[in-house]
Amino acid sequence: MDGKVKEQKRHQQKHSGPKAERKKLKKQEGSTEEDGRKRNPKAFSVQSAVRMAKTFHRSQDIKTKKHHIPHVDRTPLEPPPIVIVVVGPPKVGKSTLIRCLIKNFTRQKLGDICGPVTIVSGKKRRLTFMECNNDINTMIDLAKVADLVLMLIDASFGFEMETFEFLNICQVHGFPRIMGVLTHLDSFKNNKTLRKTKKNLKHRFWTEVYQGAKLFYLSGMVYGEYQIQEVKNLGRFISVMKFRPLVWQTSHPYVLVDRMEDLTDPERVRTDPKCDRTVSLYGYLRGTHLKNKGQVHIPGVGDFQVADVNFLPDPCALPEAQKKRALNEKERLLYAPMAGVGGVVYDKDAVYIDLPASHVNQQQEVRPTTELVQSLIDTHATLDAKMAASKVSLFSGSATLDSTDVGEHKEGPREECVWDPNTQRKRRKVVFTEKEEEDVSGSSDDDEDGDVDSEDGDQEEQEEDEDEDNLSTFLKDKVEGGKKRGEESAEVPAFADSEDDLEMSEEESEEEGENVREESGDDDDGEEEEDDKEESEDESMEEDDAAGATMKKQTASESEEEEEEQGKYCFYSILRFSCCSRHSALEFILLFPSTGGLRWKEGLQQKASEAFLRQQKAAPNLRKLVYGSVVEADDSDDEEQELGGLFRVSRPQNSKKSQANGVDSSRFDPDASHNWDLEEMLNSIRDCFVTGKWEEDQDAATLLKEDEELYGDFEDLETGKVHKGQTGEQDQAEVRLIYVEYLVKVDDDEVQKKKRLEKKQRLKERFNAEYDDEDATYFDDLKEEMQKQAELNRAEFADVDDETRVQYEGFRPGMYVRLEISSLPCEFVTNFDPHYPIILGGLGASEGNVGYLQMRLKKHRWYHRILKTRDPLILSLGWRRFQTIPLYHIEDHNGRHRLLKYTPQHMHCGASIWGPVTPQGTGFLAVQSVAGTKANFRIAATGVILDLDKSVTIVKKLKLIGYPYKIFKNTSFIKGMFNTVLEVAKFEGASVRTVSGVRGQIKKALSTPPGAYRATFEDRLLMSDVVFLRSWYPVSVPQLYNPVTSLLLPAGQKDSWAGMRTLGQLKHDLGIRNKPNTDSLYKPVVRAPRHFNRLHIPKELQKALPFKSKPKQQQPKGKTPRDLQRPSVIREPHEKKVAALLLALSTVHNHKRKKAHTAQHAKHKEFLQQKEKLEEAKLKRQKEARKKLYRIQGQVDQKKSRSSLKGAPQDD
Amino acid sequence: MASHGLAYDGCNFFRQRLVLSTLSGKRVKIKNIRSKDDNPGLRDFEASLIRLLDKVTNGSIIEINQTGTVLFYQPGLLYGGSVEHDCNLQRSVGYYLEALLMLAPFMKTSLKATLRGVTNDPRDPTVDMLKSTALPLMKKFGIDGEGFDLKVVKRGMAPGGGGEVVFTCPVRRTIRPVQLTDPAKIKRIRGVAYSVRVSPQMANRIVESARGVLNQFIPDIYIYTDHMKGANSGKSPGFGLTLVAETLNGSFLSAEMSSMPQGQGDPKLPEDLGRDCAKLLLEEVHRGGCVDSSNQSLALLLMTLGQQDVSKVLLGPLSPYTIEFLRHIRDFFQLMFKIEVQKPSEDERKGGDKVLMTCVGVGYSNINKTIK
Repeated sequence: MDGKVKEQKRHQQKHSGPKAERKKLKKQEGSTEEDGRKRNPKAFSVQSAVRMAKTFHRSQDIKTKKHHIPHVDRTPLEPPPIVIVVVGPPKVGKSTLIRCLIKNFTRQKLGDICGPVTIVSGKKRRLTFMECNNDINTMIDLAKVADLVLMLIDASFGFEMETFEFLNICQVHGFPRIMGVLTHLDSFKNNKTLRKTKKNLKHRFWTEVYQGAKLFYLSGMVYGEYQIQEVKNLGRFISVMKFRPLVWQTSHPYVLVDRMEDLTDPERVRTDPKCDRTVSLYGYLRGTHLKNKGQVHIPGVGDFQVADVNFLPDPCALPEAQKKRALNEKERLLYAPMAGVGGVVYDKDAVYIDLPASHVNQQQEVRPTTELVQSLIDTHATLDAKMAASKVSLFSGSATLDSTDVGEHKEGPREECVWDPNTQRKRRKVVFTEKEEEDVSGSSDDDEDGDVDSEDGDQEEQEEDEDEDNLSTFLKDKVEGGKKRGEESAEVPAFADSEDDLEMSEEESEEEGENVREESGDDDDGEEEEDDKEESEDESMEEDDAAGATMKKQTASESEEEEEEQGKYCFYSILRFSCCSRHSALEFILLFPSTGGLRWKEGLQQKASEAFLRQQKAAPNLRKLVYGSVVEADDSDDEEQELGGLFRVSRPQNSKKSQANGVDSSRFDPDASHNWDLEEMLNSIRDCFVTGKWEEDQDAATLLKEDEELYGDFEDLETGKVHKGQTGEQDQAEVRLIYVEYLVKVDDDEVQKKKRLEKKQRLKERFNAEYDDEDATYFDDLKEEMQKQAELNRAEFADVDDETRVQYEGFRPGMYVRLEISSLPCEFVTNFDPHYPIILGGLGASEGNVGYLQMRLKKHRWYHRILKTRDPLILSLGWRRFQTIPLYHIEDHNGRHRLLKYTPQHMHCGASIWGPVTPQGTGFLAVQSVAGTKANFRIAATGVILDLDKSVTIVKKLKLIGYPYKIFKNTSFIKGMFNTVLEVAKFEGASVRTVSGVRGQIKKALSTPPGAYRATFEDRLLMSDVVFLRSWYPVSVPQLYNPVTSLLLPAGQKDSWAGMRTLGQLKHDLGIRNKPNTDSLYKPVVRAPRHFNRLHIPKELQKALPFKSKPKQQQPKGKTPRDLQRPSVIREPHEKKVAALLLALSTVHNHKRKKAHTAQHAKHKEFLQQKEKLEEAKLKRQKEARKKLYRIQGQVDQKKSRSSLKGAPQDD
Repeated sequence: MASHGLAYDGCNFFRQRLVLSTLSGKRVKIKNIRSKDDNPGLRDFEASLIRLLDKVTNGSIIEINQTGTVLFYQPGLLYGGSVEHDCNLQRSVGYYLEALLMLAPFMKTSLKATLRGVTNDPRDPTVDMLKSTALPLMKKFGIDGEGFDLKVVKRGMAPGGGGEVVFTCPVRRTIRPVQLTDPAKIKRIRGVAYSVRVSPQMANRIVESARGVLNQFIPDIYIYTDHMKGANSGKSPGFGLTLVAETLNGSFLSAEMSSMPQGQGDPKLPEDLGRDCAKLLLEEVHRGGCVDSSNQSLALLLMTLGQQDVSKVLLGPLSPYTIEFLRHIRDFFQLMFKIEVQKPSEDERKGGDKVLMTCVGVGYSNINKTIK
């Protein structure tokens, strides 16, 4: 091809003419798709409706697949620390990693990592690290509570079984976030192998977790620690990680215990070291709300009833809200009581607070641990809280003092505001526990005159004084009260005097009530009297005379009692009380400034009044009516007195008793005081009907007006007139009112604000409805609904103080709680090992019961053997680990559960166990044993709970066999199948069958051989037939539920729990071998010689046969006749010699001949070889010759062709 | 290792205890049942209730001592299915039905219960009332769908009985939280005036007089007359009226009254009965709330068993039965309600005080239902 390309004629754009104009026009307007559609509608029309539907479906499918079922977001505002479990085989660097991470976050070094370590990692995040050792029990327990798993893998070794076991455990119990960490990467010398290993491990990890799961590389160690930068990066990953809620965790409360204390009386322990222990366990509550007095399961120990729960100040609190980005040194808290950090050292029976000498001497020198102690002491807990949270041993070897010794009160003495009429001021009463109160009352006789108000004294002293002072007045009152109310019965319902209790905070009043009641009936009166006193002050606007008020109050309470006797709760009267008490409360507050004088009390007063108002708002009156009277029930029991130790005072049945056996009906009888013939009564409910007056915000007129407001302001363009919506008139009127009434103002202001807010909300909703909801789907609606519910959940109890809130919704997750559990086995305490996690898993309603569980189960594909029915198996289900005996079964097509002897190899099957009731859909895993470590994969099976029941329906096949003993035409008598007539009667009508397939039916029992019956068949039987009846026999599931109590084992042997052994193990251990079936044994084969009879053809037949077929040699030969017999030759000695010689000669000859023959043969062979050789040579020669010839010929040919190529031959 | 049990004294609130025990799986022991009575021990109607519970559950253990004064009940699992029960004539079917209403959504298979006995008597909520108030209430909690029905096949008045009721209910795994804080205004009043084995005119007379009272408030009143004859009319004569007021928000308030059983007390004129019943309805309206007074406990139970979310319900004044029910809920589920009294303002004419009940559900899930 030549390089010159012919130049084409260039396109010449038209600059004038119609075409150019058209183009110009086009350019100006700019064409869009819209234009295209308009211009060429056919191109955009529907070509195929089917394809269009398909594409639409597909796009919708893809859209919908992205959706998850929306959940109500129930995470608390201050979430509990995130549980990070560090897992891996031994010697992989777990502790080192935790240590490095802690150092990274808190700049503190930790020695031994015992138990959970909680740290503050950021402004909004706390982390709890927990190391998981190699015990499968620990792995199972921690997988259930983990939020994030750091899975350490020794890269120089590769994956180990533990890693995969842990991953499978996680899969079963809900999959927490998993992050792989490769360690020991510095052992690779070759860079290429390193890269290859990383890649291989990564891809295997991805197949197990998910594609793209994060795998972190820790390249090497520097002075026994990981590189700072790498740890920092890992820390960053952790602190920004998001978590998804797991079903089991979000539906159950749980606590990962980070502190344990034995509260048992040391004296009891001394006398009986094996006695059950009372233990208090501490930790952050996670999951959901925990109810007091609920049931918990401690994996490795068992089920327990929680004796008491209370929340404590957070020992590792998040920093207060601030603008700064980073945390300062003081806020980087670390809390790990089990590891002996935080100045709290763990011991068997005591906890020691460690204050180094340097710290005591010079506060400036701040060492990490002491700093923590400092911060704990200074900022985060008050003295009483700390008292509650710790035990102190004053002298070595002495019994420890702890908060519980002080009584049930967790927070030590409480204060309570009491109005003292004598001194005309408010005083702080210290409400102690019952014990202390008794002590004080015992000593009060001596101190009665020590009623001195020393205001300049220090605070505690003052408190004491106050207490005594108050007590003396209290005692005085008691005496008076006793006089006044001599005739009144001791029993007064608690809610009769409920009004004044409002001043106290909820719990205080309750506790006090309890305490007092427990003392004696007289005290009860006194207490009430005191209360009455207070109340009289409250109502001072009405009457000054305190006694008068008391009397009135008494009558009120009496009337209450009467009403109760009638079996009614006087609900209305109480409501009336509460409404009048609101006024008195306001008065109460106004009185305070005037009384004055005590500066330190001012804050208190305000606080008290605030508390009062808050309580008032909560209106515990009705609450008390409902929930408060339970205390009374206990009271009445206590009151039974004994006379002379023999007779019991029999009281006439009081109202309670008669009510106890009252009529059980949900009907609510109408209030007799309402007379519905009166016009005013009728008027009182007018507005309940659509015909009545409507609320302002729902009234048609208002709604119209609102619309006007919304669309009201407009200018009429034609006339130029401006229309304005009418607003503000009403507001102005109300504002005027506010000026008039000062007290009402606050309320009204709020009302106005609320109204405005509501209006805004409504407008917004309307706007949203108009503009957003066009493409709102069901999913969006659902999501919005959930969102609303979540907001409501958050808002409902947000402004209630914690103690009240806890009563309504239980302890919420994120709180630091202390749970007291009585009657724990002593081994729990004596064999306590902080390296093993203690988990308190809350149980839902009826999850504490046992029943039959039906599950779907599959043998794990890596487990090397199939599972046998009735072999014990250890299951991890819910919180629990327990041993049980499963029966495997499979469902037949007709819904029958047929027993299987073994689990199928690669298929799901059913399994039924006797075990703890657990909600359906919960996953479980099974292991054969938890003791020790084995080389093989330990997880035997996994599955899910399908059903719970109190009975099982597993059957196995049963064939009953009988034999006919008498046979008629189609009827036979069968025996041997049953033993009695009754048995037969049960099976009348059942179908039977013979081995040969003849079907029949059982008709009726026969009398003579017991158990024989008459049966009819479709054909006549033979006596040799076997008749059988196919039936199904129900199998019962063995009731074994054996919790794995691995935590109770001595330290160091905790991984050696062994329960019931399997049949195979038992046989192996005891050396028992199965006796084989004798029929299955091999024996020497003895074969008797076979004897065949001759074929006998009758003579007649023989005759008829053609000659060919006639038997020929059949007849025996008969005797040879004498004449044919040859005489035998007997040789003479000479002849014998001749014969022998001949024989010898012939032998020699034969030998010679043979020899000659072989020689000849060899010679011939040689000849042949020679010949072959010659032949070969000849061939070779010929070949050579031919070769030569060909070469010459070839040369000639070549010459010839060359000459022909060259052109015309010259010499031809 | 079954969870710990609870102990009670006396036979009052017998149903509540058994029902809550069944739902929570906690054992219950009731002592001193009429122990000081001339005729001690359980009555026949209570025994009948226990038998009904035995029929709908699987694996319950019930032990009663010789005199019948002590009952031990260890609940099994709720089974459901098709159940037939001849209720004792001492109490009406409503007594048994109230218990079943609470249990039915939590069975293994959907319940189809045929109850025979007294359908209407003055002591218990009648079948008509439960049908018109309890069922719509349960629908608000998400118990809905095919086969949620209560059908009065035959009507039987006390004391003879002979009525028959078929109650069918589907099962649910979880219960929805509700916010019923605004009862709204009553838009219509419906009712059933029934009469059996008396003149059909009786029903008409009742309707007339009831309308006379209610017409002062609202014109939209329709009271059906239901006169059953022959085999469907039971064994005793009687008549009665059930009135239901429906609000704009779909809550129902009801009142009812039936004639005194034959041979007990003074007979009542149908006109008086109609008027009194209408006044009862006014009383109920005066109490107000989103749930009528006889269904308070049902609503509270369903709130308790809801998911772990805040539920709110506005009730009228709590009945003694409800108060005891609240205490029992605390015993069995450790759940306390936040009780707030809402007082009507001065110029409002909406009846008496209301009570706003708030709770966080316990997160109950139906452990009986099978998954496939």
